[in-house]
Amino acid sequence: MRSPFSLKQEFLKKWILGLQRCRSSKKNMSIFERKKVIKLSADVAMASARKGTTCWSRALIADAVKEGNADKHLAEKILGPASERQPTKKVPVGAMAYNKRIRSKKILERSSVIRRTIKCAPQAARPSSIVKTLVGKRRQILRSLIPGGEFMNGVSLIEETLDYMISLRAQVDVMRSLASASKLVNLN
Amino acid sequence: MESNAGTTETRSNVTVPDGGEVAAFESLQFTDEIHRLISAPGTDNASSFTALLELPATQVVDLLHSPESVKLIVASAPNVEDFKGSFHFPSNTGLIQKDARFSVFSGEGNNKNEKSNSPEMTSKNSSANLEKAVKSEPAETVSSLPLVSDPTMENRNIKRKDREKKVKGSTKKSKTATNERLEDAEKLPYVHVRARRGQATDSHSLAERARREKINARMKLLQELVPGCNKISGTALVLDEIINHVQSLQRQVEFLSMRLATVNPRIDFNLDSLFTPESGSTMDGGNFPSLVTPLIWPDVQVNGYRKQFQHQWHFDTLKQPIWGREEVCNNYVTLENSLLSCDSSANSATLHANQLKMEL
Repeated sequence: MRSPFSLKQEFLKKWILGLQRCRSSKKNMSIFERKKVIKLSADVAMASARKGTTCWSRALIADAVKEGNADKHLAEKILGPASERQPTKKVPVGAMAYNKRIRSKKILERSSVIRRTIKCAPQAARPSSIVKTLVGKRRQILRSLIPGGEFMNGVSLIEETLDYMISLRAQVDVMRSLASASKLVNLN
Repeated sequence: MESNAGTTETRSNVTVPDGGEVAAFESLQFTDEIHRLISAPGTDNASSFTALLELPATQVVDLLHSPESVKLIVASAPNVEDFKGSFHFPSNTGLIQKDARFSVFSGEGNNKNEKSNSPEMTSKNSSANLEKAVKSEPAETVSSLPLVSDPTMENRNIKRKDREKKVKGSTKKSKTATNERLEDAEKLPYVHVRARRGQATDSHSLAERARREKINARMKLLQELVPGCNKISGTALVLDEIINHVQSLQRQVEFLSMRLATVNPRIDFNLDSLFTPESGSTMDGGNFPSLVTPLIWPDVQVNGYRKQFQHQWHFDTLKQPIWGREEVCNNYVTLENSLLSCDSSANSATLHANQLKMEL
């Protein structure tokens, strides 16, 4: 896979660019606003470092520039003018229809599962079904954690989790070393 | 090899293809691709392909000029043993075309021999192909063959290993594995791969099994990634660990961004001064300490922030008004210890420089 070091480099570069773009806003920001800006720019940088190859990165950026989002202008500023935005991999139209299909399927499945559990409640004691519901519940939780997780089915969910975890870890490493670097600067 | 080709030739004549013209047309496309790939020199990226084509190259060229259908090209592949069973496909030429397209390049060391020619196996092949088949037109998949010279080769190799493990486990053998591997390799440009053609119930269960095994392989990868997950058995518990890990990573990001926000009054903190002496050069882990040390931090206020910041760690965070936000508090309680250790080590500059070098 891609080397973790190059991933960190790319993330750092994009993060710094994004932060510099935000710099022009009001001078005395409260601490929470600063934190928000830092986190948002870091997340967007991480997602764009993937260049649109993974579902979670696309979902993260799409969420950031969503219409109803409060920080939409901030996210757009970070991403830069539309001409500079990296061309994300074109999600084919089939995939959108596929997502819708998945969602409608899930709704149907859930309703049928509810009906089934009501009907055959005594049979729920079978170990396989118990395990299935346990695993299913956890999958739901995982889907809620990962950005854009609702659209992923079993296999892609796990792949996206893998990728997301690696990116998160790289992000944490870079932020931590930056924090300690700035502390080192303060000591001088 | 020649005798094998001969036997498979005879065998191919036994089966009756449905779409004769289709086969011919697709064989033309196919031959173009093969020519293109054979003529490509063995660069690093294309090394896999030339390796694949090394053995069958001469044979393929020979057989290309023969007037037979695509199945013969299948027959010419080096691991001919593997394809003995495939010529008994009862139906669905479309699948056979896909098999043929993909299986020529299966020169990789697939030494499993096809023993059984049961309909079970053929149905499994078809179902597995269904499952792995790319949604797009066959022409596109053929054109994506040159894209195999793709930097993410290890990813493909992981998938190949998974396929191999899976096939080793099952009684049905090789052809499926090679097809799946190659279809995996060629579907790399695409993210979502699902086919929707209905088949007999037998193939459904087999497809289910293949899918489950794929999921299990991915779960194993995840288990290796998450620390402490190797000893746990059982999907639910492993998923629990994964969820915990992802949540903790997300919380760490929140927390670190808050920390960075406190340490620096401006959001681009010391980056300007960090990177102006080094403008244009690539960032490197080793450069970081050297960049940081010659800096002059002009803002005295920052030291005040920092001391405040350090002191607060010793208090109960909930009582501090500045950390009044709920979500922020949770982070601090969990990561307090790690921070304290970090702060104590910050006193020695050399130690810190080494840490930076390692971390980056």
